[in-house]
Amino acid sequence: MGEIVRYKRDVWGEEVILGVSWDLLWVVAVAVLVLLAAHAIIMAALANKKMDKPSSEGRRVLRHETIDRLFHWIMAASILTLIATGVAPILGLRIAWLNIHWITGLLLTFVVVFHIIRSLFWQDFKSMILGPKDFGEPFDSTQKPGKYTFEQKGMHWAVTVVVLAVIVTGILLFLQIDTPFWERSNSMAENTLGLTFLLHGLSTLALVALAATHIYFALRPEKLFYTRSMVSGWISEDEMAANHDTSLWSPKEAD
Amino acid sequence: MPATSHDVMPDIELYQPADEENALELANTLGNDGWIVGGGQDTYGWLKDRNKSPAAMIEIAQIDAWKGVKETADGIEIGAVTTLTDIANNPLVQAKFGLLATAASKVASPQIRNVGTLGGNLNQDARCWYYRRGLDCYRAGGNICYADSPEGLNREHAIFGASRCVAVTPSDTAPALVALDATMVVASASGERLIPAQDFFVGPDRDIVNMTVLNEGEILTAVRLPNEWANAEFYFEKVADRNVWDFALVNVAAAIKVSGGSISDARIVCGAVECTPRRLEAVENAIRGQQRSEQLANDVAAIATEGAEPLNYNNFKVPLMENLVKRAIRG
Repeated sequence: MGEIVRYKRDVWGEEVILGVSWDLLWVVAVAVLVLLAAHAIIMAALANKKMDKPSSEGRRVLRHETIDRLFHWIMAASILTLIATGVAPILGLRIAWLNIHWITGLLLTFVVVFHIIRSLFWQDFKSMILGPKDFGEPFDSTQKPGKYTFEQKGMHWAVTVVVLAVIVTGILLFLQIDTPFWERSNSMAENTLGLTFLLHGLSTLALVALAATHIYFALRPEKLFYTRSMVSGWISEDEMAANHDTSLWSPKEAD
Repeated sequence: MPATSHDVMPDIELYQPADEENALELANTLGNDGWIVGGGQDTYGWLKDRNKSPAAMIEIAQIDAWKGVKETADGIEIGAVTTLTDIANNPLVQAKFGLLATAASKVASPQIRNVGTLGGNLNQDARCWYYRRGLDCYRAGGNICYADSPEGLNREHAIFGASRCVAVTPSDTAPALVALDATMVVASASGERLIPAQDFFVGPDRDIVNMTVLNEGEILTAVRLPNEWANAEFYFEKVADRNVWDFALVNVAAAIKVSGGSISDARIVCGAVECTPRRLEAVENAIRGQQRSEQLANDVAAIATEGAEPLNYNNFKVPLMENLVKRAIRG
């Protein structure tokens, strides 16, 4: 324990980066677990001070279109599969993980590219922009967000950066293995290869933390209606009024 | 490479347990720090070159319970620390499972067979020289395969099943045991488990640093050969660059049951073409129920190499493997 980067000797005997120290996986796991447990305890302590839960009955408004929900769940499944297959050999599980890993990686790349294009041209991109005003939202109970809350925007952009880092480094590593499309060249310099592994490993660790945090919040009782909307597409008008500023977000009625 | 002193042996704690219970307890206590050594023919190469330096070694060659050949109700059981010479010369093995006797007699040299054990031959590490040289390749926990690179020398390496690492199984007895449908007896402080020989070996797609499914604290203690394949028609051939003290370029082990000239069942396995012994089930299926003949051998040999992906310098393994399979089938 204690090291972040692993080193090795290359074929010339020079010390080069090998990758991230996987001891950090346990550090991340414990840190996330402790932070989320602390959050859960604090929220439980404050529970009786909370306002009444808004009703899910009544008129429904559309929060996520079918195509966006589909994207979300494909991305979620891809990321969880990538984490599981990537971590399996580190944990000593003997599974043929590599093919599943790169095929899933390609799927993730495809859906992320699709999402970027769609969000730029067909969605309300501005609704996800994190501006200076948003940072006051957690400290001001009267300030309600538009479609996305400060936390949701923060999570989205953190996941964006980390997933793009995973994808870019993953593609570079993908080029170093045999696939049905090409034979590996084994021509990348060992220090560059090591650096790519390091960045892929660090972004993976960040992704593990973000995925755990995202799942935790998706399962929080007060956030469950957002999770439901990611399945069914709608939230109730009551839920919208309680959590969002209707002057900043005016969705159409759900079918 | 960093300068390494070869003047003296590295400091290693040596344990020589007198019985199996003691050995298993030590293996359990020491875990991955306890290197199991039988005849030492794999171990001492690593130590001599200073490319591995275990903190402790558990020598098991003196444990009588894991030695010798005995007849069981369903076949024979061979202790894992039985020497290869003892197996090659054992009358019971010769009489019932001549395939294994022949395979054992082809390992390395007489001197090595005199001390080398069955367990050691099965559990030995990959012989890829880049790995053995101490380079930090995939198998050594690194990010790269030096053998499968534009300048890499890979004449002896895999033509099947490579997944980043292209090392092959170096064992001569392993293909024979898979062909004989053997069962590996694996013991640990928490008990015993039985593993079919075919499942005992593991490729780099599932585990890139180990060649068997042995877990920390486990020891291969015996190999059981079922009577089902006793006295079948056997064929073993090993092709290497020299007749002694060399690893196979390709070897083939076949157990074929023939009834009235017709093949009723067969198990054919090749070594040194993949990281694990490669069972040729497609060939077995093709010859089952057929008359054993030269023509049949010629007709099906090509099936053996379907899906082969030779590297820069080992294309020769494809026709070599086909020819060995051809010879095994025609007998």
